[in-house]
Amino acid sequence: MIVGLVLIAGGAAAGVFGSLLGLGGGILIVPLLTLGFGRPLREAVAVSLVCVIVTSSAAAGAYLRGRVANLRLGTVLALFTATGALAGALLAFAIPDRVIAGLFALLLAYVAVSMGRAGLRTSRPATVVPDLAGAGEGGAISAEPSAAEPGPQPAGRLDGPGYRVRRVVPASIASLGAGVIAALLGVGGGVINVPTMNLMMGVPLRVAAATSNLMIGVTAVASAIIYLLRGGLDPYLAGPTALGVFVGASFGARVAHRVDVRVLRIMFVVVLAWTTLQMARRALGI
Amino acid sequence: MTMPEQRAASAEVEHVIARFLLFGAVVGVVFLAIGVVLMAVNGISPEAATFPAFDPGTLVADLAALRTEGFLWAGIVILIATPIARVIGELITFMMRGDRILALVALGILGVIVLSVAAALGIQG
Repeated sequence: MIVGLVLIAGGAAAGVFGSLLGLGGGILIVPLLTLGFGRPLREAVAVSLVCVIVTSSAAAGAYLRGRVANLRLGTVLALFTATGALAGALLAFAIPDRVIAGLFALLLAYVAVSMGRAGLRTSRPATVVPDLAGAGEGGAISAEPSAAEPGPQPAGRLDGPGYRVRRVVPASIASLGAGVIAALLGVGGGVINVPTMNLMMGVPLRVAAATSNLMIGVTAVASAIIYLLRGGLDPYLAGPTALGVFVGASFGARVAHRVDVRVLRIMFVVVLAWTTLQMARRALGI
Repeated sequence: MTMPEQRAASAEVEHVIARFLLFGAVVGVVFLAIGVVLMAVNGISPEAATFPAFDPGTLVADLAALRTEGFLWAGIVILIATPIARVIGELITFMMRGDRILALVALGILGVIVLSVAAALGIQG
């Protein structure tokens, strides 16, 4: 029972942090289960995918109600992320644990550096601003949706109020990569989705984060099904963890506007740096 | 349909999808919560060396018998099914609005999910 409570608490912490910092549970859940509980990496990834679905569904609901997410664009890109996720999940059972650990260490390092740079750029207390590194990973329930501002009539099928969507083809290819990484590492894929939409396609950052949140649920489903049907998903781990993540993310969303995320961001970067080292050690077999 | 009418229709659809997503997440989490309580009651540790395999054929019976794994698996299945149901809803909506391209895209996503199931079962078999 103690272990169950610890898992719920750990999931809740991941949910709170994810919600406040715009990061998804995967970044925290996978190291929590592998380094904290000694679970095999693939089991941790499977549990993390369930957590991504939980937070994505709840967060996407908020973004859609607030008219922030671009449903059409999200649907188009989700076709590619889901396809990538299918490939990634199949690959996950074919490549050694240590390779996945190494890839995860690289992802953690990238997120830590991105968050650190974002923290240096931010000069005022920030309410939750979706972070480029991980926004839309499924933790950003807290990003306050605002109604889309009226603007010029969208000319293209995927355009939104006040912006045009461009470079759909290369973005779709990038989305394939996002799906593969999401399935291999148990993350949402927002780390690629959001920069793809924002920097490559010209979508405003807030819309990109919200749309990514919408996509990652379907992305996670495409791979979670494979883990589920191949006996790779432990319900005794997934239950308490996903429950905790839901509670934590919901709580984080309610208190987000009262929190100065600068301090949280620094703490998080330190935790990420330590976690990166541990995962790298695991990958190198040290 | 005029542009304002289309926007209003889109807003309504998105509102319905939003509520459905949240509803699915909450229902799934409730089942998980019941499962976690049953874990505590039955003294099942998350660190157990083995865990029950997922068998959709016994799910209803497990739920009726108030077995821990029944509620946990039901919660997980509901959570997985929620985004799928959302895509089905989008497919129907796009078809009703005559948006053939996006309807095909939504159908493609469902096709990928079906492929996932087939791939997983194919590997097992």
